[in-house]
Amino acid sequence: METLLQTLLNGAASGGVYALVALGYTLIFSVLGVINFAQGALFSLGGYLTYLLLGGKIGVNGALPGWGLPIGLPFWLALLLAALGSGAIGLLVERIAFAPLRRRGAEPLLSLITSLGAGVVLVNLLQLLMGAEGYAFPQGAAGLAHLPESLLLGGARIRTIQVLLLAISALAVASLSLWLDKSRSGKAMRAVAEDPTTATLLGINSEAVVRLAFLLSGMLAGLGGGLIGMSVSLAGPYFGISYGLKGLAVLVLGGLGSVPGAIVGGLVMGLAEALIPSQASGWRDALAFAILFAVLVLRPSGLLGRRQLEKV
Amino acid sequence: MSSSIQPPPSLQPLLQIEQLQVHYGSVQALAGVSLQVQRGELVTLLGSNGAGKSTTLRAISRLEPASSGRILWHGADLATVPAHRTLKLGIGHCPEGRRLLNRQSVAFNLELGAYLRRDRSGIAADLERCYALFPRLAERQQQQAGALSGGEQQMLAIARALMGRPELLMLDEPSLGLAPKLVTEVMAVLAELHRNGQTILLVEQNAQAALEIADRGYVLEAGRIQLQDNAADLLKNPELKAAYLGS
Ligand SMILES: Nc1ncnc2c1ncn2[C@@H]1O[C@H](COP(=O)(O)OP(=O)(O)O)[C@@H](O)[C@H]1O
Ligand SMILES: [Mg+2]
Repeated sequence: METLLQTLLNGAASGGVYALVALGYTLIFSVLGVINFAQGALFSLGGYLTYLLLGGKIGVNGALPGWGLPIGLPFWLALLLAALGSGAIGLLVERIAFAPLRRRGAEPLLSLITSLGAGVVLVNLLQLLMGAEGYAFPQGAAGLAHLPESLLLGGARIRTIQVLLLAISALAVASLSLWLDKSRSGKAMRAVAEDPTTATLLGINSEAVVRLAFLLSGMLAGLGGGLIGMSVSLAGPYFGISYGLKGLAVLVLGGLGSVPGAIVGGLVMGLAEALIPSQASGWRDALAFAILFAVLVLRPSGLLGRRQLEKV
Repeated sequence: MSSSIQPPPSLQPLLQIEQLQVHYGSVQALAGVSLQVQRGELVTLLGSNGAGKSTTLRAISRLEPASSGRILWHGADLATVPAHRTLKLGIGHCPEGRRLLNRQSVAFNLELGAYLRRDRSGIAADLERCYALFPRLAERQQQQAGALSGGEQQMLAIARALMGRPELLMLDEPSLGLAPKLVTEVMAVLAELHRNGQTILLVEQNAQAALEIADRGYVLEAGRIQLQDNAADLLKNPELKAAYLGS
């Protein structure tokens, strides 16, 4: 029997991951006014990269069955490198799916299709390399082995990995907000988000800011994928897509383009799902979207959204 | 570049535009504009709506590509300079419609004006100078720029451009939409900046107000320079009087 504390912690932990995904969308939406539909695929990629960096082996249906790194990295290093890898592929997605359209002054909506295409290609490449089967992470993955499986907190047993998941996503979200708020490049990004021409006249290279947004956004997705892989497992190359969709719902729930909205929206979504009793777990996704509809009926611009989005 | 025929640096204009043409698709906005600005001058570019004044400034800032002609800055062609590098070179542009970061505070707008600068003490000193020049901005530092009155927004736009310490300050219709008293106030500030040595290229439809503080002026009509003269002579020019000075 789960205690309320366990339930809330589990909810907050998955909420944290939703927030990571939603923040990834938010960064790109703020600077370009479009949604990057490859975000879910980058989430999958982060999961697989983390698995391999932890020393996991490729399964029998993969391109190189049985292949793997000779040694596994500590989990924090694996997560960091996997995030960077997803960020790098995020940059590539920008080059391939977004930049050519921008250069030709094409209708921004077209990038929905091109980014979806990039995501599909990425997921299929993962399937080619790793096979379609699910992967459980290496038992007692390096660096995690010395941690206890569970902690006793307020009389309740709590899986260590859930605490870690919550702590890491909270740290990522907090550093991102702090960076946007205080750093020179974060301020430049806020300026580009509001008016790219003005930003240019102030000496800001808005193309560089766009690339930075894609790098960070890919890193957030990759980190989310790694965390979910560690706490649950990799259900197959498509596992990131459902998180990508959930992140999209959170984005709309919190208010398009709002950073605090993405965080609050993620937590609301995660907690609401966790409060559904496990015998009715089939209703979880339905509930998520029911909440979304309810909020949008009451507040069309989302929980913390601006009443109107500025016209581009 | 043929450096042998260039004049000595002291005679070289700060900004020199030669036969500039700009097209928007098939529409010609500038049909061969030539003008120059010397160091320390206040030059005004006049003309009615649609004459091509903003396009001229946007071409200098490299926001619009030139289809032919040259823009020389310190004698060097700007053709290959990307737009975000022009301020670094010393060209400040206070754009048409102010283009403030409306969701951000007054202080944030001014801070971003100094985005390229690293001299903390110099920035702090310039901030003081801007607040002294526009005391109303000092009172509203933490307010959202979008919540300011039109006059205050224009002052913020000018102050933000000054925070970049541009060698040349270009202003696109700073008097637009302001009450006559505020126009006088804005022009007085520009005149003071000019007295302190700031080089200014001022785009205006309000010819009277601009010519009163300018050294020289150009009149642009349908993408061509129609008149150019000293400000005092332009103020007396019968053609200009009929067209712009309403008498
Ligand atoms: N983005 C644009 N696309 C097409 N035509 C434009 C654009 N901007 C300006 N023009 C045209 O170029 C000409 C000059 O415009 P502009 O430089 O804005 O004039 P001014 O600033 O003197 O009012 C006008 O005929 C205007 O309609
Ligand atoms: Mg104009």
